[in-house]
Amino acid sequence: MYFSRKNLSIPYIIFLLAFVAAPMLVVLYYAFTNGEGQFTMTNFIGFFTSPNTIGTLLYSIMIALSVTVLCLLLAYPSAYLLARLHGHKKPILLMLFVLPMWINFTLRITALKEVLTTLEGNLAFHPFLNTVIGMTYDFLPFMILPLYTVLEKLDTSLMEAAADLGANPVQVFLKVTLPLSVPGILSGITMVFLPAMTNYVVLDMMYNSTYIMGSLISSYFSAYDWHNGSMISIVLLLIIFVLTIATKQFGDEANENRGTVL
Amino acid sequence: MKRFKKHFLLLFLILLLAGLHITLSGCGKKEHEDTLTLRICNWEEYIDEGGWEEEETIDLENKDIIGKNSMLDDFIAWYEKTAHKKIKIEYSCLGTNEDLYNQLTLGDKFDLICPSEYMIMKLMAEEKLEPLSDDFLDETQEKNSYIRGVSPYIKEFTHNISINGESIDRYTAGYMWGNTGIVYNPKEVKKEEASSWKLLIDSKYKCRITMKDNVRDAYFAAMGIYKSTELQELAMRPYLESNLERAEQLLKEYPNRLQQEMNDTSRETMSAIEQLLQKNRTNFYSFETDNGKSDMVTGKVVANLQWSGDAVYSLDQAEEVGTILEYSVPYECSNLWFDGWVMLKDGIEGNKEKKDACEAFLNFMAQPDNVVRNMYYIGYTSVIAGGNDSTILDYADWCYGADEEDNKTVEYDVSSFFGREDAIITTTPDQLNRQLFAQYPPEDVLKRCTIMDYLDPETTKELNQMWINVRCFNPFS
Repeated sequence: MYFSRKNLSIPYIIFLLAFVAAPMLVVLYYAFTNGEGQFTMTNFIGFFTSPNTIGTLLYSIMIALSVTVLCLLLAYPSAYLLARLHGHKKPILLMLFVLPMWINFTLRITALKEVLTTLEGNLAFHPFLNTVIGMTYDFLPFMILPLYTVLEKLDTSLMEAAADLGANPVQVFLKVTLPLSVPGILSGITMVFLPAMTNYVVLDMMYNSTYIMGSLISSYFSAYDWHNGSMISIVLLLIIFVLTIATKQFGDEANENRGTVL
Repeated sequence: MKRFKKHFLLLFLILLLAGLHITLSGCGKKEHEDTLTLRICNWEEYIDEGGWEEEETIDLENKDIIGKNSMLDDFIAWYEKTAHKKIKIEYSCLGTNEDLYNQLTLGDKFDLICPSEYMIMKLMAEEKLEPLSDDFLDETQEKNSYIRGVSPYIKEFTHNISINGESIDRYTAGYMWGNTGIVYNPKEVKKEEASSWKLLIDSKYKCRITMKDNVRDAYFAAMGIYKSTELQELAMRPYLESNLERAEQLLKEYPNRLQQEMNDTSRETMSAIEQLLQKNRTNFYSFETDNGKSDMVTGKVVANLQWSGDAVYSLDQAEEVGTILEYSVPYECSNLWFDGWVMLKDGIEGNKEKKDACEAFLNFMAQPDNVVRNMYYIGYTSVIAGGNDSTILDYADWCYGADEEDNKTVEYDVSSFFGREDAIITTTPDQLNRQLFAQYPPEDVLKRCTIMDYLDPETTKELNQMWINVRCFNPFS
């Protein structure tokens, strides 16, 4: 038996089959069956006709969008500064950014809850705002790191050339740096947007008054209704899938454009 | 394609080996056939795990109690000594009743589990439970600590719950019990306000009260609000009736009527309660699963819907940071819950020896010293009162009884739980609204406690849907 490098992937393939593919099939089975195990589309139709699920979906998207935008606004400047730094300060600063990730998130959220309570007096008056702050706090590192990786690898000579050819700093940023960092932005968005729609544990930890898609799935599952719960998971998966393809398309286009410009 | 086949072959081989391993290890088990294995599933931190420090010793009047080893190890040693049989325990923990139920449907096997009363009723209705033996329920035998020690109040209460014509006390040995009520901060909320479920939706305390994120508890409390006047009338009617015979009749019917009213799941009631919760959901600080206790202690909220066991915990915790909290049971009604041990048909599989061992375990757990150890460790109230043995009553006195230097004391009557007239604890007046009251409610509270019925799958589904409707964000409503 010859040994090819491809064999190295066998452990991962087994892992994938056992823990990703097989559970996926189970979820699919439940999504399209009813209690008696017969094939049915009721769950699917139910998802799109119930004002509750649609309302919660819209609300989750609103939260996820706000979180993503806020994360991006916070992460981009810091990642940019971090990438542009030189010398002995850089590893220390980088560590300071990664440090919060070493602390378990339950601890971080509990601390955040106290901080926000001190600031606002009563959390319950601003459920949407607090949810967005909590999630942004939790997901920020996932936005900073991909951005940092991309920005760090940027060839500074391109920016110097742009400046040399008469672009002012704003133009250099908008025409060179920003387009070149699109892959980082996209991977940051996928890492933040999707969890923000479902991660109800953050809400649960803070104080549980907002209800998002993840909470809905958990409600169905704890009520033994695996069929509706699975259907929601499948629909969310589809949304993720479409989004990934769209961003990939967008990323490719951006790459192509850059190619022609250069 | 060929390579693909090879990969699959490899995978197949691995699976085969794994399968072989299981069968081999299965064969190996035969050697230890004389050791019986009990598979027990219980809540987390719901049994004394031992390892107490010397200074934790509970020094009662006539004996000292300390948990040196874990309860399970002590049982294994005790069983070997008394029954001369070696035993092994596979102990696992459950997160929620629903998780446990899912585990059972997926094929996990246990011999002895400790679910809550409604899950016991569900499992009983599905005929999954092994009945307790007559021997275990025989009060005349000295060894039967459970049946000799269980509180007469609990005994009568469980005896009156039946599924398909059979009383559930044939199937379950109770463990811990409690009621639901309201924990409140007396500096912010008056006792009179906290004595009604209506407090939960009082707009005076907007966003300062927590609700449970649990459909049954929320439904129950909301029912108390919705039917407040009716429930009061129901309780008063026997005393307003001039015809003595009729009054007695009404008094007798009261528990059943109360249970019916509180478990009303008719369309109209359900939608009325949905509206009530929907309308008031922004009045709640949160729908909590576990945060309510800490939010109460840190003062983020001024009152919360709470189970008495957790209420005691909240009160204790708050005391440590210098806040005094109190507990009240609304006058409308309260929910009596209990967790009980049940044996599973699937696990026992008709094995007499196993059943005996399970029942021996239940009796061991019901021995007064062990009850005290578990209660001290868990903080909940055991259904065991101790019968003639006064250890458990002494323990309650040890916990909450008045000290010599207390100059104001009151007599607190716990005779209806302990079933003996001398069961009176001399305590400080504040305990009437605090831990002692939560752990051992007085007779009038016990009277207005009722259980949540086991609901058929269809109603459960409707109720769950109602809860999702309440919790969901609906832009069209």
